[in-house]
Amino acid sequence: MSSAASAGQPFTTTLDEGGIVRLVWERGIAVTASLARAAMGAADELCRPTPRPMLVSMTMVSVDRPARAVFGEPSLTTRIALVGTSAVDRLIAGFVTRISKPAVPTKFFAEETAALTWLKADSHGD
Amino acid sequence: MAIDVDDPRLTQIVDVLVQLASGDLAGRLKPSGARDTVDAVMTGFNLLAEELEAVYKEMEERVDERTSELTRAQEELRQLALNDPLTGLANRTLFGDRLRHAIDLAERGGLPPAVVVLDLDEFKVINDSLGHAAGDATLVEIARRLILAVRKSDTVARFGGDEFAVVIPDATADDAMRIGQRVLTTLQEPVILGDHTAWAGASVGLRLGEHGQSGDMLLRDADTAMYAAKAKGGGNIQLYQPAMHSAVQERLKLASDLATVIPAGDLTLHYQPIVDLDTRKIVGAQALVRWPHPTHGLIMPSQFISVAKDSGPVVELGRWATEAAISQLAQWRDLLPEGFQIHVNVSSIELRRRGLGEFVADVLGRHRVEPGRLILEIPQTGLMTADLTGMEAIVDLRRSGIDIEVDDFERGYSSISYRRGLPLDGVKVDRTLIAGIETDEQQRRFVGAIFQLIDSVGLRPIVEGVQSADQADHLRRLGYRFAQGNLFDPPLTVAAMTHSLSTP
Repeated sequence: MSSAASAGQPFTTTLDEGGIVRLVWERGIAVTASLARAAMGAADELCRPTPRPMLVSMTMVSVDRPARAVFGEPSLTTRIALVGTSAVDRLIAGFVTRISKPAVPTKFFAEETAALTWLKADSHGD
Repeated sequence: MAIDVDDPRLTQIVDVLVQLASGDLAGRLKPSGARDTVDAVMTGFNLLAEELEAVYKEMEERVDERTSELTRAQEELRQLALNDPLTGLANRTLFGDRLRHAIDLAERGGLPPAVVVLDLDEFKVINDSLGHAAGDATLVEIARRLILAVRKSDTVARFGGDEFAVVIPDATADDAMRIGQRVLTTLQEPVILGDHTAWAGASVGLRLGEHGQSGDMLLRDADTAMYAAKAKGGGNIQLYQPAMHSAVQERLKLASDLATVIPAGDLTLHYQPIVDLDTRKIVGAQALVRWPHPTHGLIMPSQFISVAKDSGPVVELGRWATEAAISQLAQWRDLLPEGFQIHVNVSSIELRRRGLGEFVADVLGRHRVEPGRLILEIPQTGLMTADLTGMEAIVDLRRSGIDIEVDDFERGYSSISYRRGLPLDGVKVDRTLIAGIETDEQQRRFVGAIFQLIDSVGLRPIVEGVQSADQADHLRRLGYRFAQGNLFDPPLTVAAMTHSLSTP
């Protein structure tokens, strides 16, 4: 497992043994466009040169509109699973997936297992 | 999970809801961090407010953009509606507004405005010989000079074609005259068009305003004064006088009549014999156009040629005369002595119009007349300003056997440097040169020198306007051999000329 340099940033990115990039936000953070871009940049670093799926743990309090637009920009991720348990997580995920237009398939999961299954399905050509 | 109705976040939600509903989209809620359903509702409010704010902003930006596009389009339309697209000067509409404004100003205690109307004298020549692009470039240059010639408070307009006008508000007579004079002077300067130099020149009419006069009257009077300037030969300024009206009306009537008589063939040619001073035998004749007018009687060319130049049919007039003279040569075929030639005038404008050579060759061919029977007389000024088309026409005509003669050779231009290698045959010495040679020894010497000059370049001089036997005698002694004038014969009708030719 390797992690990208994200020193001083309110998030961590790692690449797990299963080849999935994991992005974990600091609890309670308000995600802005520059933070979103830094996080996607760090994820791309881990993917390079192979595009990979990504799992995002939803611990943030909000994602503003410009930040959501960053998910519409090209990246090395192939699909994104948003995992969260609270009503706030579900709401934010709803805005990300339905109102903004992500560049790759993006889906909300209440459980990590289901998210991993969906992400791995991609690596098998789903 | 039941919602606690005392949860202070609900009060906050209600407050921000009212704020958003009032149109203040900056309102935001602060979720507690409990990440429960109430926090989700608050976050949802925030995200929706943010979406709304973004949509509003985009709409406002779009409205701003459309508004400025509309403003630009309105400005362009205004420009189109009020300005001449070629020169950027005011058009007739804007000129009318400015003139009314200047009259209003006078009614509130200022001086009445003056109006200048001007028309370029040689624009048609420039357009015909150098093309429309050169014509347009000339108009733009004229517009630039006019702007420089007037005061900031004056308005220069182009009414279309080569007609311009200036309204001079709050004008003293001195101001108006000074501006009119500056306009005239600036338009006398040559216009450089690439490799060509053209002289546009202008006829300028000036009307000094009087209290109580309408804009239409001022403009009409300035126009009348401009026509008076044109009737004086162009290149001058005329201050409006009431007597000008009838003269201009007369001239306009003449122009409209002329446009119909040329195609109808209602003009006629008279022929003034040219004689050998030694033998007094007729060696040729000059064809002179006469216009038998139903109310004015026989009108002389001096009265209608300038009208033809202004109103356009000068080329048609010249071509009619050439064809009529050639047709007459054909009818006189059996009467003509050897070497007899008919002289026909060709204007500078005709010379510059393409196809002169082909036209003459075609008419000669149709009437089966030898080219050597025809001499075309081209005015001295026409030769001096001939462009490539004109010079080619001269070379073509000469090559096909037609003689070319320089007309109106007079003191002011007593040099034949303009010959520029052109194949010329003769020179018509103007009547003004021989005036007084019977008594004035100096003038006699001068006319003798003129003969030497013409003879030295291999041209044949013919003197016109010989009135007395004394004049004829002096001319013969100075070396001149051919002449025309009332001493020998006035211009004759076809019947009289036929009679002269039949009588050896």
